[in-house]
Parts: sequence; structure tokens; C-alpha cells
Amino acid sequence: MAIKIKNLKILFLREIKTKISFKPFSFLLNTVLISIIISSLLLALNWIFFKANWSVINSNLSLFAFGSFPSDEQWRPLLWLVILSFIALINIFGPKWKWLRKNLLIIWIGSVPVGIYLLKGGFGLIPVMSQNWGGLTLTIFITICSILFSLPLGILLALSRRSSLFMIQKFSSFYIDIMRSVPLIAVLFFGQLLIPLFLPYGLEIDRVWRAIIGFTLFVSAYIAEDIRGGLQSIPKTQLEAANSLGLNKYQITRFILIPQSLRVALPALTNQLIGLFQNTSLMSILGLMELIGIGRSILANPEYIGQYIEVYIWLATVYWILCTLMAYLSKQLEKEMSSNKGY
Amino acid sequence: METVLIAKNITKSFSKGINALNKVSFTLVKGKVLVIMGPSGSGKSTLIRTINGLETFDEGELNVLGIKIDSNIDERKIKKIRRRVGMVFQQFNLFPHLTILENITLAPINVQKRQQTEAEEFGMYLLSQMGIDSHAKKYPNQLSGGEQQRVAIVRALALKPELLLFDEPTSALDPERINEVLDAMRNLANQGMTMVVVTHEIDFAKEVSDKVLFLDNGKVIEISSPDIFFSNASHERSRKFLNQLDKN
Ligand SMILES: Nc1ncnc2c1ncn2[C@@H]1O[C@H](COP(=O)(O)OP(=O)(O)OP(=O)(O)O)[C@@H](O)[C@H]1O
Ligand SMILES: [Mg+2]
Repeated sequence: MAIKIKNLKILFLREIKTKISFKPFSFLLNTVLISIIISSLLLALNWIFFKANWSVINSNLSLFAFGSFPSDEQWRPLLWLVILSFIALINIFGPKWKWLRKNLLIIWIGSVPVGIYLLKGGFGLIPVMSQNWGGLTLTIFITICSILFSLPLGILLALSRRSSLFMIQKFSSFYIDIMRSVPLIAVLFFGQLLIPLFLPYGLEIDRVWRAIIGFTLFVSAYIAEDIRGGLQSIPKTQLEAANSLGLNKYQITRFILIPQSLRVALPALTNQLIGLFQNTSLMSILGLMELIGIGRSILANPEYIGQYIEVYIWLATVYWILCTLMAYLSKQLEKEMSSNKGY
Repeated sequence: METVLIAKNITKSFSKGINALNKVSFTLVKGKVLVIMGPSGSGKSTLIRTINGLETFDEGELNVLGIKIDSNIDERKIKKIRRRVGMVFQQFNLFPHLTILENITLAPINVQKRQQTEAEEFGMYLLSQMGIDSHAKKYPNQLSGGEQQRVAIVRALALKPELLLFDEPTSALDPERINEVLDAMRNLANQGMTMVVVTHEIDFAKEVSDKVLFLDNGKVIEISSPDIFFSNASHERSRKFLNQLDKN
């Protein structure tokens, strides 16, 4: 045993020796770099544990989570977040039953109406105006709604772009190209300021839904391009086989083209999802109280003046954890799909 | 005797001046097997693909199971034909995202509107006939080439076709896998299935076919019974081709 450990030690040292060469110049460089890393790490830890005043986070946790949702009703957004985490957990660790896996997408879609009901109220729950939605709940709400609306719209756009009907094909190409050449913030401004002007008198869409419409319009164009890449990767022989079986155009699209292109586009779609999640922070400029918006409004409170480093480090950590989780979820999904359908 | 297939002067060119098919005519009677042979690029694939409308043609007339089509494309007639004619491809062309059983039942359920359980039972029955029912839950890429091709045959059979088309069904297979597919086709022929087969397998053609059509440069050089074609071909061009095949 002792010999083994000694051997390991020698191996380890050798490893270091080969990795870090001891020529004078690189030795100097390495020492400088390592000491910079270590000292900044120490400084950071020192700041995090001794200097920083985390009370700005601790005492505002419910604001960060639910915004100004009435405190008696905060169990509602909490319940929704718990449901979402539960679905995510099933997605990652749950059993591999085929019927469950097949219905997970439907379960995800189903989480949206549940969320709307819990947030908005009515039908036995006290109504809560969307002005009072906020924090992480609002960030996640906007993300999930936008991605679930833009996915079918993106698929539709991608299919129309290959359509044999001239007008449909031209329109979707035009739409995709326009959206891809306009900055997101412009589309969001358009959503907030111009959508109300286009609506008939008396019809009003509140800010949250205008934001979701803006994101959906924008992201669907990018999703359409990802799906188009997937569609192009399907060999012509697949269509011939489907045609020779007598399947019609609609059936070929539904059973052959869409599933295969989604499979190919999945990594790109994940990137869209993560990008969308991060971009919801732009809504803080337009006055929504999502995560960043809440952070800004807390910082505007004289009680917490100057504590912006704590707040932004905290927010960065929350974004980082959730983005990592999403990336992991989709890796899992990818693995699952390719483990039995390795193509 | 019921004639299943009548081709009259089928002509097609992909680019101007070069005819992929040049006045091709032949007939096929129910329950018989027609083998199409010819060198590479002679138009074999083009010809067999016109039969179920995967390829259009410029002149001539085709009568498939009583449905007449010509150079004017009529989607509805082509759909009708495809519902009654099965096709097996060189590269299997199974759907990689569906299990074997889903591959087989997709068309019966959605095209013929059959009950799922009934379609699955029939699919399993056909798979067991081919000796591959143990693979029903697997995905195509988990099967060998020979197994995949037998699945492709089952997929075509699941629609209870009245005519089966094969375009070089064994050309993409390892030599030791060829026979399992040829055996399956032999059985079909013995059961009275009407078939059109593009192949280079001489022994198979000798044994199973009722007629051999030899194609060169899009032209029918001869249509003979296999006995005559393989021992005493009437045309210089056919004899040359057979010599070449023997050498390989
Ligand atoms: N889609 C196409 N576009 C243009 N030319 C084509 C097309 N398909 C086939 N051809 C041409 O038509 C001719 C006949 O092709 P076909 O594929 O029918 O030959 P084949 O007898 O099946 O050959 P092989 O034994 O190599 O499969 C060839 O000259 C080929 O180059
Ligand atoms: Mg060919």
C-alpha cells in the first residue's frame, strides 16, 4: 500500500514536471501566472466571505424569486417553479420508459397553461395583474412561453421556405431575412411600443405578452434556420421511400421530415433556448421586473445603495446555474436520442 | 391471364439529346417475375422507378394494374398506384428514427387506415416469416445490411401489394449476406408474387425469373426467357455483357 502511494506520488510529480517545464523563462512566467491566479482567488474569497454584505440578497430573496407578487399568494409562483423543477428532474434522472419519454414534451407544453393559471389567477384564485409578476418567475415564464411558441412557428417557417407555393416561400424567406438582420432590442421595442398601435381600439395586450410576442417573432426566425439545416441533412432517398409507400405530403412532413430535422437541429435549438433565457434580461430596459429588473429596482432603494457588486454577482450566479442546467438537460436528451438511433 | 403491367414506348431524357429510356415496351403477367439486366447507366433504375411514379417520362404510356398514366402527371393516379405497388431500394432506405415495427406499420396505419394492433400483428407475422421478428423493437442502425433489407421487404409487403419492385436489392450487401435476401425473394416468387427485379445475380435470375429484359443505353436489346438469355443470347451486346459478369 505504502509503495503504491509512493509510486502515485512520483507519477504525480512527474506529471507536473512534464506539464510545467523548468526552463528559467517559462518558470518565471508560470510562477507569475500561478501567483496572480491564487492571489485573485484569495481576494475574491476574502471579499465573498468577509467583506461583502449579503444582506441585500438575503432580505430580498422573495423579490428575486417572485417580484412584487402579493406575499399571501406567493405559493402560486413557488408551486409553478417546483412543478418545473420536478419535470426537469424527471427529464434528467427519471425512468427510461418509452411512453414517459414520448410524453415529456407534452408535459412541458402543459406546464405553460398551468403557469398562466397559477400566476394570473381567476377560477377560484385571486387575480394578480401581470405588473406584479416578476423576478425569476417572470424570467422563466417569458423564456418558456417564447420558446414553446417559436418552435412551431419556426418549423412552419422552415417548411414554408421549401414550399412550392411561390408567395408562401417568398414571404417566409423575406420574414426570416428581415428578423435576422434586425437587432433583438429593436424587435422588443417594436413589441412594446408599436403593437398597441396596430391593435384595434379596445383590445389590449399587456406588457408581458408583448414581450413574449417580440421574442417569439425574433427567435422563430433563427429556429427556422436551424430546422432548415436539419431538413437539408435528410437524404432524398428518405422521401422516395416515403413516397413509394403512398404517404402523402402532410404525412411525410409529420412522420419523416420534422422528427428527423428536429433531431439534427437539437444542439442548435438548445443554444437558442439558452440565448433566449439570457436575452430576457433586455426586458429590464423596457421596464419589466424580471431578474435584472428586480436587481436594478433593489439597487435604487437607498437602503442598499452601492451594493451593486453583491447584487450582480448573485444574479450572474443564478443565470449561470440555470444555463448550465439547460445545457445539461439537452445533452441528456441528445444522448438519449442517439443511443438507440445513432445517426 | 391477367396482365399487370404494360409499358408502351416509354421514352425519357434527363438532358436534351441523351435518352435515358428509348421506346421501352414490355408486358408482365400476374404471378410472373421480370428481371431487368444491363450495364451501369443503361437506365434500369430509371425504368423501374417510372412504374410507381418516382420518375416521370416524356413519351409513351404505362398501364399499371389497370391504371393508365402517361407523360401528363396525374398525382391522384400515381397515389393509387403506390398504394398497390411496393418498392425495395438498393440502400434499404429505412426510416432511422423509427423502430423496425414502426417502420413497417407506418404506411398500413396512415395510408390504409388500418387498426394499429392489426397492423402490428400482421407486421410481426411477416417479420417472423423472414426470421427477424426478434428485432422488432430495435432501430435500423442496430441491424446488419441483410437484416435491414429484409425489413425493407417486409415494409413493402405490409401494404399487401399486388406488384413488387426491386432495384438492385443485394448490391449494397456483403457477399455472405446476399443469400438471405435472395432466399426471401425466392420464397415470395414461389408464393406467386408478381415482381420486377433489377439485379446482377445470374443464378437468381436463372432460377426465379420468367423473363429477362436486357437494357443498354436506354433501349431494350432483347426480352427472352432466362433459359435462352443465359445460354444462347440472341444479341452480341447481351453476350458481351454476360461474359463481363462472369468474369467478375
Ligand atoms: N436525376 C438524374 N439527372 C440526370 N441524369 C440522370 C438522373 N438519373 C439518371 N440519370 C442518367 O440516366 C441514365 C440512366 O441512369 P440509371 O440510374 O437509370 O442507370 P442504371 O442502369 O440504374 O445504372 P446503375 O446500374 O449504375 O444503377 C444515366 O446516364 C444517368 O446518368
Ligand atoms: Mg440503378
